[in-house]
Amino acid sequence: MDDADDAKAVARCLEGEGDAYEAIVVRYQRGLFNVALRMLGNYEDARDATQTAFVKAYEHLDSFDSGQRFFNWLYRILKNECLNVLRARRPESSVSLDLPAGRGADPVEVRERQQAIQTALLNLSMEYREVVVLRHFTELSYDEIASTLGIPPAKVKSRLYTARQQLGDLLVDWRVTR
Amino acid sequence: MTNIDDPWPDGDDASRMLKELPDVDPPSTIVGTVMSTIANRARGQATPQTVFVLRGRTMARRMLWIVAAAAAVALAALRLPGYPPVDKGTEATIGAAQRYQAAPISSADVKAQDGELQAFLHSDVFRQLAADQVAQQALKNKDFQRALADASVRAALASPDVRAAIVDSARNANADARIGAAAGVRADAARNARLDAVLQSSAALRAALAAPGVAQAIASASLGAALARPDMALALSHDAAVNAVLGASGAALDAAVAPNPAANAAKHAAPNAH
Repeated sequence: MDDADDAKAVARCLEGEGDAYEAIVVRYQRGLFNVALRMLGNYEDARDATQTAFVKAYEHLDSFDSGQRFFNWLYRILKNECLNVLRARRPESSVSLDLPAGRGADPVEVRERQQAIQTALLNLSMEYREVVVLRHFTELSYDEIASTLGIPPAKVKSRLYTARQQLGDLLVDWRVTR
Repeated sequence: MTNIDDPWPDGDDASRMLKELPDVDPPSTIVGTVMSTIANRARGQATPQTVFVLRGRTMARRMLWIVAAAAAVALAALRLPGYPPVDKGTEATIGAAQRYQAAPISSADVKAQDGELQAFLHSDVFRQLAADQVAQQALKNKDFQRALADASVRAALASPDVRAAIVDSARNANADARIGAAAGVRADAARNARLDAVLQSSAALRAALAAPGVAQAIASASLGAALARPDMALALSHDAAVNAVLGASGAALDAAVAPNPAANAAKHAAPNAH
């Protein structure tokens, strides 16, 4: 399924074939969910934000500009949902970082490292966090990220540079000499 | 220094560490939840302008407003002083009767139970209960009153053995505050099939027994006497009877019941009988 297929599915939905939307959900659920997960650091919040974004997108399909990529439009809806979740969180509330662990020799150490990395990610401002997440957890190119965010590619690169510097500082105690 | 045109060179520490975060499988429910929400909208079962998906469930904004409005109205009705309005001639008794803030019942409800209520108000059981503050502790508990609306609960509580088991269990539970009265009662119920059955059948009774003091109050002599008589126990399941008991206590009761106990007690019950 590619961008042309997206456009066809959207057109069918607008003609009353709601089932056509399922292909879109199937195509983007993994990418969108992982973006939300890294933006929010919480599995349930990421699931809810993803579901809500899909439903809202469907309800406003008639406002989608078929001249742009569907993912770009969908991402902006998801980002707004993530911002809503973050705004609704009380400052003192703790975020559950009990995320699925990857493979590693010591599961406890792996989980601790992953939590530290996720926490560092959450400490970045949204404009830095989103470029990191889009670059690292989706397969978007710099140009595609620029298109998604509506900023020039050079701006994407400068934000990535700053974000990487900040992450390096936040994770200085977790660096491993290789 | 890192080249700003290539901010993610291989081997970069931050880049390597970010790659340690796994790509997580999305929840298997996403497609189903989204499509069912959309399908409901298409069928007109839900016509939200905006649908919130919370903890896997969908809720329309309109429904949120309806629930919020209903809750606000209910709260206002419960909190509004002087509601429901009082009939002329009963103003003097309203202060005492309103101490029990149970939901008001309709006049039709009272008429249907008039015979039982009158018999109750004429009884010694009524006077004993009105003078027994321990028993009133149980009667003030709305869960307990709801439990009494169940005939099987009344029948079970009519048994001295069941009441004794409740009290014994509550005493045991009090020895360990972490367990709580209801947990203690349930533990005892394992040894008492009858109590077990009634606890299983009545969520209201379980809730009532979890409240402090209710289990002990059931042991009071006057409440025991009332529960032992089916007609009295049935009367206690009605708001008017409970209001009468809670509103007619102490010296006021003595003064009121001297010339005509039934008439005075009925007067106490009247304010809520609209």
